[in-house]
Parts: sequence; structure tokens; C-alpha cells
Amino acid sequence: MGTRIEAVSTARPRWLLRRRALRLEEAAARACLERGRRKPQDVDLLINVGIYKENNTVEPALASLIQEDIGANPGEPHVNGHGTFSFDVGNGGAGALSAAYLVDSFVSAGTARVGLVVAGDADPNPRTSRGFPFLPAGAAMLLGHTDDDEGFDRFEFRTFPALSHRFEACVQWEPEHQRNALHVREDPSLSDACVDCAAQATTDFLDAAGLHAEDVDVLVTSQYPSGFAERLARATGVPANRVPAVERELQRAHTAGPIAALESSVESGSFARARNVLFVAAAPGLTVAVALYKRPSGHC
Amino acid sequence: MLRTGNTTPATPWMLMEGQPSRGAVHATRFESIGLKVPERRRTTRELLSMTRHHTDIDLERLTGIHEARVCSSGEDSLTLAVGAARDCLARSRYAAGDLDMVLSTSITRYAGGSCPGGAGERAAEGSSGAAYRFQFEPPLSLSIKDAIGADRAVSFDVANACAGMLTGVFILNDLVRRGAIRRGMVVSGEFISNLSTNALRSVRNIFSKELASLTLGDAGAAVIVDRAEDGPGITLAGFTTISEHSRLCLGGPAPHSPGARMLTKGREIHRAAIQDAPFLLDNALGGAGLRLRDIDWLIPHQTSSRAIRKLAERLGDQGPKHVVVNLENFGNTSSTSHFVALHRYLSEGRFQRGDKVLLLALASGLEIGVVLLVMDELMETHGHTH
Repeated sequence: MGTRIEAVSTARPRWLLRRRALRLEEAAARACLERGRRKPQDVDLLINVGIYKENNTVEPALASLIQEDIGANPGEPHVNGHGTFSFDVGNGGAGALSAAYLVDSFVSAGTARVGLVVAGDADPNPRTSRGFPFLPAGAAMLLGHTDDDEGFDRFEFRTFPALSHRFEACVQWEPEHQRNALHVREDPSLSDACVDCAAQATTDFLDAAGLHAEDVDVLVTSQYPSGFAERLARATGVPANRVPAVERELQRAHTAGPIAALESSVESGSFARARNVLFVAAAPGLTVAVALYKRPSGHC
Repeated sequence: MLRTGNTTPATPWMLMEGQPSRGAVHATRFESIGLKVPERRRTTRELLSMTRHHTDIDLERLTGIHEARVCSSGEDSLTLAVGAARDCLARSRYAAGDLDMVLSTSITRYAGGSCPGGAGERAAEGSSGAAYRFQFEPPLSLSIKDAIGADRAVSFDVANACAGMLTGVFILNDLVRRGAIRRGMVVSGEFISNLSTNALRSVRNIFSKELASLTLGDAGAAVIVDRAEDGPGITLAGFTTISEHSRLCLGGPAPHSPGARMLTKGREIHRAAIQDAPFLLDNALGGAGLRLRDIDWLIPHQTSSRAIRKLAERLGDQGPKHVVVNLENFGNTSSTSHFVALHRYLSEGRFQRGDKVLLLALASGLEIGVVLLVMDELMETHGHTH
């Protein structure tokens, strides 16, 4: 009995979608619900983990806009119905795993049965932003209660605050241009720091779970910094062929990164064959999130 | 008029915690509450004397706000949050190292210090001297937990407009009830008065979309949620989002000035909140076998005395015994407003042990949420035992 991944989906900018974070997230959410054969009304909990969006909007939670746009119980409350609760979680590339942790908790407690985690980012204003490193992408992951053995087994979050300056993103006033603009600065050592911290956290996590690196059937990771998954696999001894090959367009996705890797694993069939799926995400801060997802004997 | 009878539906509309469920094994409570408000005060009269356009708005009469606290040089969302977290810990039996989780839940995430533009460069400062550097990453929760020394704690940011702190309580309540964690802190620092400063340029009359910004004040608040070993503590928590109203209030960086701007269709959002809140209150309480008249204190989100009065009227004679208005000296402190009020009432010894206190979130989204607590040892952390 646990929380099962029912479906995943990603969205990349097409002509109609352009490059708006909200549209990308909405498209991913709709596709995910369709794949999971769920109606929007089934969603009890909707968590957005995307950070960079149009106009750098900070109120309301973007999740509420997505909820309205996909039609998840947006209207007036009434007797003998149920609503949807939406809010945002901010934890960079580890946001999707943070949200999965929360959904798993609400589902385990019986508070919710179905949760939708939506991720996505796009440059809020390419004309004024400085140093924005991510490619636009949206993603969604549908989670639901199951009585089977499949599901999230354990989570761990570890932070390394001494490394917080390796990546900073803020909106600040530019007096010379009389405008607020997004500034992003990445330290050249960010990639090494992410791999080192994640490798340490992953090794400890596997030890605590009584697993060896070879027991990891699929290694699902955040996509940023570039090459993170392959370097982490090398550093931890997880065989290279356990890392899903992610489409080039999604290799520089930010919060959507882990879900993009998961979708790739689902599409290649490696997820269906797996018993132990290990999620590892690194985020500015520096935060490392690790989660183990177990499947019964690799059932499809 | 509100129905206040036992119209308990089979399914609660809100996502509810509190009813017996398969995963919940512990009772929960508010263990301590902390507050940090800036020293500087700004009266509503002073604020309105600075509007660009001539106005005849009697904002103090409309809102009940005489003054609000506003940040000075060196203060921002982060310093308020850290100050509140430290005050909370000072009243708590726990040290920072005992916390399993820290959730930062503010709308504003202004944090000074060096900017990406260059080493040691200070963020641009507004007329108050406060810094306008809105941090998206790393999460503000990480800076807070680092500042207070909560080394063990899992941390991330939660954003849900003015319902942020109560959303954080909802999350911690779930995790503590289930035994996933033993205790955690929800903290918020709102340096939001800069929206008032920006609104001064555009406000002409009571129909202005930035009028609500003139009601805002700065504050930091924190609460520790832990297991209630021998008391009822938090007996009910529920939330829902009526998202057809999600675009009635939108906030983000101001287009042509430092800080932020918020555009609100005030009448529409209040109308929606007042229309839907009574049913949801009835619906949520009914599931626990309670009625509104069983509630001793209702603390709604503090927007304006007029809006709160309208809500109280709508609840009618069968409503709660007291409806708290805490606007006169603080204004609308956004996500911290319930805890600013709770802190004041605790400090003044207003509550009796066993009182049922209902916190009601009404926020952009449209978020509507409830947290019901039974007053317990929390009173002692503020020097009152009965």
C-alpha cells in the first residue's frame, strides 16, 4: 500500500504553446491526466514546483491558475462534491521530489487519493533577464493511492548551506534601466559541487536502504547542471546504462528535469522492468533530494 | 443567511485533516508562536498624504487601519522571518537543532546582501532604505534554517498567497500526525509595505486596483507544530482552492519602480470569499460534529474591518462567539496576519484554556482554509495559564 506513479508527461515549446511557463505546465498536466486515464475532477491536490514564469508572478500560487486552466474542480463548492487544493512548492530541481514527498504523505494519511505534481519554467522576459540558463519545458506527474506493493519507499533531503552562493537567482531593481529584472548567476564550480554532494547523499541513502549501486535499476535525476546524471552514476557506481537518455530539448530543463528523465524511462520500458528506481535531484542551496521507488518484481 | 444546522455531507469539499484516517496516529498542536515586527510605524494618514493624485478616500474608516509597521534600512523578508523564528524558539522547549522541518511561506522573499551583479554589491534600496532583492533561488527557507541553526531540518518554500502560513501548518499537521516527523516550524517574513509605496502613484479612488495595497504592513511570524501528548491541540484542518477566481488578484515585480505591485479586483474577491466561506465552514465543521456557534474565537485573514464585519454578518446570529479584528496597529500583514493576531491575543491573555479558536484563510487563488485549535499550554508560552 502506498503512493504509485500513475502517469508522467512533458511539454516542450511548440508554435502554439510558445514559451510561456503556464502554458507548458498546463499542456503537461492535461497530457498526464489523459495518460493516467483520470479526469481533472479526480485531482485532490495540485502542487506546482515551477519557479520561473511570466512576469515573475508571485501571487497567487501558480498552481491555482493551472487548476483553473485544466478544469480541476474550479467552481463553487457544493454538497456531496469535493474540491481541489492547490499550492506552490519552491525547491529548485528538487521541487518535484519535495512535492512527491508531500503527496505521498497526504495519500498515506488518507487525506488525499490523487495528487498532481506540475513543474515547468521559462525565461520570464528574455529581453531583460540576465544569465537565465534553463530551456523552457513543462512536466507533470500523477500520483495516486494503491493497495499494491508498488510505490515510494523512502525519501531523504540533505542540505549544504555553505554552498548556497554557487547559484543565485533574484529579481532586482536596475536603476540605470528603471526596471526590475531577473538576474541569475551560476558559479563555475556548481556542477562539481552538485555531483559531490549528491554522490555523498546517494551512497549514504543506499547504505541505509540496504542496497548496492548495482541494485539500482533506473537512476532518475534532475537535468541541471548539464551532465549531472552521468557524472553521478560514475561517482556512485551505478551502471551507466541505468541512466535514461533524455531528449536534447529537455536536457536543460530545470524543475521539469526529473520528470523528463522519468518519462524517458517509462517510454523506453526500463521503468516497467525495474524493481528499484532511484530518484536523485540536486537544487541550488545546495539541496539534494533522494527517493527510492519500489516496483514488485519488475511488473509491467 | 447561512445554514448552521447539521447538514453534514457525505464528502467534505475541502481536503480535510482531523477525521480518523488510516495513516494518522498522533494528535498535534501549536507548541509556540513567535513574532517580529519592524519598529517603524506609518499611519494611514501619512500614507495617503503621499498619493500622487488627490484623493478623498477615508481609508482608516473603511479598513480600520490606523497604522502599520514598515521596514527600515537593513530589514527585509529574511530578517523578519529569522527574527520571528528566534522569538518562536525562545518561547519553545525546543532548540533549532530539534526541528525536523522548516517551511518558509511568505509571498515576499526580499533578502539583502550581495547580488549576482557583483561581489558585495548591495541590492537597490527604496526610499525606506530597505533592500529590493527578491530571491527566487536558493529557497528562502534554506537561508532561514541556516541563520537559526536548524541543521537537521528538511526545508523548502511554500507559496500560497496570504494563506501561506496556514498552508504550511496544514502540511506539518499531516506529517506530524502521521509520525513522519516529530516537529517542524512554519515561518514567514513579509516585507510587503513596498506595494503600498508603489500604489501611491496610481490610486485615485476606492475603485483603484491597487487600493488593497494601501492596507499592507510588514511582519514576521513563526509557529512550531509538534505532537500533542495530552491535549486535543489542532483538531481540524482543511483547505480548498476555488480557482475560478484565481485571476482576481495578481502580484509581481512592479513594472517601473523598485519592489512589487499587486492588482486586485477587491470587490469581486471579497464577494466570492464571503459567498463561499460560510458554506465551507459549515461543511468542514459539520464533518467533525461541530457548528459555528461552538467556536469561541474566529480569526479570519485580516484585510479590512469592513470585510470582516460583512463576513460576520453573513455568518449571522448562529456564528462564533467572537470574531477577531486586529487591523488597527498592524494593517494587513499578508500571510502572517493570523499569527500576528494570535500572538497579540495570547500576550493579552484573552483566551481561556479549552477555548476553540478557528483560523480562517481567505487568500488569492481563491484559497479558503481552516485550522481549528483548542487552546492549551500555548497560553503558558506567553505568560498566561488561565
